[in-house]
Amino acid sequence: MHEVVTVRQHEIEGGARRAVFSPVDNRARVDAVVRRIGDAIELGLLADGEQLPGETELAGQLGVSTVTLREALMALRQQGLVTTRRGRGGGSFVSLPEVPADDRLKARLRSWSTEELRDLGDHWAALSGAAGRLAAQRTEPEDLRQLRRTAEELTRAEYAAARSRLYGRFHVELAAAAQSARLTREQVALQREIGALLCLVLADDAYREEVADCHRSVISAVQDGAHETAGTLAERCVRESTARLVAVRLTL
Amino acid sequence: MGRSPGVATLDTEAEAWVAAQVGGALEAVFETVAATRADTETLLGRVVAEDRRPVSADLAALRPGLHVHLTREALVSGVGFVAAPGLLADVPAWLEWWQSGADGDVRPLLLDLDPGQSAYSDYTHWDWFALPRDTGRRAVAGPYVDYLCSDEYSLTLSEPVLVQGRFAGVAAADVYLRHFETAVLPLLRRLPRPAHLVNARGRVAASADPAHLAGSLTKGPDFGELLSAARPGAHDGMRLVPCRGVPLVLVLA
Repeated sequence: MHEVVTVRQHEIEGGARRAVFSPVDNRARVDAVVRRIGDAIELGLLADGEQLPGETELAGQLGVSTVTLREALMALRQQGLVTTRRGRGGGSFVSLPEVPADDRLKARLRSWSTEELRDLGDHWAALSGAAGRLAAQRTEPEDLRQLRRTAEELTRAEYAAARSRLYGRFHVELAAAAQSARLTREQVALQREIGALLCLVLADDAYREEVADCHRSVISAVQDGAHETAGTLAERCVRESTARLVAVRLTL
Repeated sequence: MGRSPGVATLDTEAEAWVAAQVGGALEAVFETVAATRADTETLLGRVVAEDRRPVSADLAALRPGLHVHLTREALVSGVGFVAAPGLLADVPAWLEWWQSGADGDVRPLLLDLDPGQSAYSDYTHWDWFALPRDTGRRAVAGPYVDYLCSDEYSLTLSEPVLVQGRFAGVAAADVYLRHFETAVLPLLRRLPRPAHLVNARGRVAASADPAHLAGSLTKGPDFGELLSAARPGAHDGMRLVPCRGVPLVLVLA
């Protein structure tokens, strides 16, 4: 396991970490900070027991005031994702609570209103729909290999977290097949927000199959150059996932 | 039509000249790749001579050379060695990869290569890795959206790295398409007809023709075949001129 630790350490200090701590420009800044750090913990970008940077430094990196950051840290403490120790060697530390991941994810989902989820779904549908349409116009057979491989891996992935990563990868690859760096970057950023939450709907085997079928039909439409169909299918797939997420939210 | 044979000859000469210049621009990048390959092969050869398996820390010795390439070669925005999985004793996979930032600084690329955490940990299916591995020859991958390393629309030039005759990974360099366009657009504009460049699959890499923008596909001709033949051709009114030494075709409307 040593090699894994080495790579993870680099990654934590690297790009993923910069993304975690890049400025947040959201009206609900506290919520945004809570989500950003919470998602990073759920996704394993911040490891259990790891010390977070000092309050001033972290607030600076996230582009929020220390008052906002303190409120966010308080909320994270209440969720049990962060502990704070005082005195020498003190600070804020990542702590993964001993509750099932599912419950933690539900707690995270509760911080989203259904309106916010609906809006997130709209954004996602806009990105993936546009990507599907453009990919169908700009794709030749070699470009489909990666999408096929991802669709295939999704049918075999056992755990919800792996399924959610592959789901996200499919949509990132679709944006790349559209030959658009901007759509791809947006999709990567969006997956950072929604990726952890999707675990809640992808644990269901039947729904996983449905998603895999949907992805396969998107690939077929892209291959046939049927751009309207490809766009519509990609949107439908994304809207169904968001609708399921909203349904789970309404039970909480 | 309506041109004298003399003008036609001049046109053909201009096309051949532009195709050669485009080839030359990428040839300079390939020199960077070849130097990185040579440095890596020397380094890995030395480690193997010590009768041990290389570790990721050994690759730090490549850094001074990589930094020089990044600052000297204007077209290159990323350069390095990508290890074949299983080559290094301490990590399952590794990219010794450096990039130049917007403010001219040089920084390492740090990726999450843990398959338990990242959906992007396996890089062996990307063209820039698979083509040199499978053909044993240098390759130009793209244009493609590089969401693994740079988030940029890019070309990646790569070569296989061999240790004791066995594939050990690839040496590679990234050229962002916007920089490539800056380099070749003045050349394309000299031509009397709207011109663009496509890769072996017909994907437009740079264009002075608004009807064929970068990223779109030029359909019809078999560009792969034309590149193998390495001779100019024609298709449906288009003139097709292969660029010397690199898998790009100059297309004139």
